[in-house]
Amino acid sequence: MATAATTAARPAGRRAEAFSLGPFLLVPASLLVVAFLAAPLVVLFRYSFNRYSPREFMIDAFTLENYARFFTDAYFIGVLATTVQVAAVCTLVSLLFAYPLAYLMARTESRWKSALVIAVVFPLMVGNVVRAAGWMAVLGNEGIVNHLMLSLGIVSQPVRLMYTPFAVYVGIIAVVLPYMILTLQSVIEGIGRDVEEAAANLGAGPMTTFRRVLLPLSLPGVIAGGTLVFILCMNAYATPVLLGGPQFKMMAPALYDQFTRTTNWPFGAALAFILMTSTLVLTIVGTTVLSRRMHHRKLEAAPR
Amino acid sequence: MSELILDRLRKEYGSFVAVDDVSLRVEEGELVALLGPSGCGKTTTLRMIAGFIEPTAGRITIGGRDVTWDPPYRRDTGMVFQSYALFPHMTVAQNVAFGLEMRKVPRAEAETRVRRALDLVRLGHLAARLPRQLSGGQQQRVALARALVVNPGVFLLDEPLSNLDAKLRLEVRVEIRELQKRLGLTTVFVTHDQEEALTLADRLVVMDHGVVQQVGTPEELYESPANLFVAGFIGRSNVLRGRLAERGRFISKGGLALAVPADGMAPGEAALALRPERIGVAPGASDGGVVGRVALVTYLGAATEYRVTLDGGETITASVPTPRPGDPLKLVSAGDAVTLTWPAESCRLLAPGPGATPDEGGL
Ligand SMILES: Nc1ncnc2c1ncn2[C@@H]1O[C@H](COP(=O)(O)OP(=O)(O)OP(=O)(O)O)[C@@H](O)[C@H]1O
Ligand SMILES: [Mg+2]
Repeated sequence: MATAATTAARPAGRRAEAFSLGPFLLVPASLLVVAFLAAPLVVLFRYSFNRYSPREFMIDAFTLENYARFFTDAYFIGVLATTVQVAAVCTLVSLLFAYPLAYLMARTESRWKSALVIAVVFPLMVGNVVRAAGWMAVLGNEGIVNHLMLSLGIVSQPVRLMYTPFAVYVGIIAVVLPYMILTLQSVIEGIGRDVEEAAANLGAGPMTTFRRVLLPLSLPGVIAGGTLVFILCMNAYATPVLLGGPQFKMMAPALYDQFTRTTNWPFGAALAFILMTSTLVLTIVGTTVLSRRMHHRKLEAAPR
Repeated sequence: MSELILDRLRKEYGSFVAVDDVSLRVEEGELVALLGPSGCGKTTTLRMIAGFIEPTAGRITIGGRDVTWDPPYRRDTGMVFQSYALFPHMTVAQNVAFGLEMRKVPRAEAETRVRRALDLVRLGHLAARLPRQLSGGQQQRVALARALVVNPGVFLLDEPLSNLDAKLRLEVRVEIRELQKRLGLTTVFVTHDQEEALTLADRLVVMDHGVVQQVGTPEELYESPANLFVAGFIGRSNVLRGRLAERGRFISKGGLALAVPADGMAPGEAALALRPERIGVAPGASDGGVVGRVALVTYLGAATEYRVTLDGGETITASVPTPRPGDPLKLVSAGDAVTLTWPAESCRLLAPGPGATPDEGGL
């Protein structure tokens, strides 16, 4: 075989290329991706250049007017800005909430550990719609929070909590928190407790150990969890619709409206691609900055 | 540099006692080895000294200061972990510099000390590498340098050699001993390898089931073990059970009457420990000693071992320098009669207690 021949011909000391099943194992998954993901995307992408007509629905064309409309309409720019802001804030807040819990779960030797994991996973089994309904019961004017505040005399009239940005933030964070916790937990579990002990033994207090050892070593988990959660937030649909009310618009509900209510498929397709592209770009930028920083620190401290 | 004192240190896990009232004083500059079988509480003791485990009771003093309830980062101990525990995201130099940084040593001085520490373990040329780019032995030496560079009050090592191959283990062992002597470090070294402990330590602490069995120099432990456990754990011993009929006369269960040193124990039930290498072997049955039949001859190079079954059914193993060609002993093989002799002073009488040696009888 050609591989064998080149291997033999290589000068000694070079690493020979080992035979690997890897490429073949990728075939089924690749076919699936092409059939169910790439193909519809290509079609949708083509749609985004078509022209919309109220009477004829969609006219084959090759125009940039859908994209132009988005970037000249302050309303849609605002929708994108809101989406990015919600996603960024929710990602950061869930990271801050999740890290301590993930650390605790990774390090505990308690026999309640599996119960804790189940408690974290459990919300994933309840659909977003059901959970949003739950939040209505909690945050509504007749909800638990208002009831408590009224009976404690903190407020004299019910405070509007439902159909506010606050409700959306709370709802989305609750949805994404389990993903963040589980991602971080598995990465922290991979970091030996002994390196933390070594740091303490060398004189590092808990905060220093976190900053110098734990955080840099768990950065891959922070990046993975952050990416996953950011993407989920950018594409949130049920939560903003049900908890934010009609005034609060994020990208996913907006583009869904285009497809169903106004049946403007070309513009809906353009919105979809703008959402996808901005998610991708922001994710790549964020990841690069974080890993660059990690790398940078390494080089900076290296002895000259 | 400072002296380390453990005062009735105790650790319980539920009803299980992992470390049972261990008291120990390690002098300044002394190397003490904690030795014992797996699960006897060595690591637990060491980790209590480092502060990673809270003792159930007892006190730990380093250099006159009670540190029992201090967190690890305020204890001034330098620990070498069995797993090395190097920081994987830092270079070798950064690993070694970490402790100095925590102590706020000025940068220029820190750099000099890091370089010196790395030269000490002969790794100066690898300062810029990451731990994963090093061999096991090199990682081990980085861990050593990282702990040494801060000049710790107490130097703690938990089986630091167990991941190394035989040759490297010997090298690093010598290296550790030299460094420890040169720097005058108060050191506690955990191992379950008795040879390692005997060659390295000023004094040994033999532990079993969380209890200190005996503390002493290698020679003390070898020549006068305090009980059957130590007799079997440090070096090897033949053990004969029986009773001390009167001072100086021991009668084994198999009916063997033996002269023993007339000191110490009062007559009554007793066990007799006898080192294989203190026993002489002569071919044929004669009156001058104990007669038995050879069950097995094992050639070990410089020495040859004879496993001999006595008339009473007991077994004694003797280890003698391998006989030269022409020596009549050379011709002795399994089934032949031999006579065993030993000086009475070589016998050590011990309490018959439960501390059975792992290889009693058959040695
Ligand atoms: N967290 C714990 N909970 C319960 N028992 C424990 C715990 N940690 C250790 N033990 C028990 O305490 C005893 C002493 O453990 P330790 O690790 O000190 O042994 P060791 O002497 O270091 O053994 P080895 O030579 O195998 O390392 C063991 O029997 C162990 O099972
Ligand atoms: Mg151990």
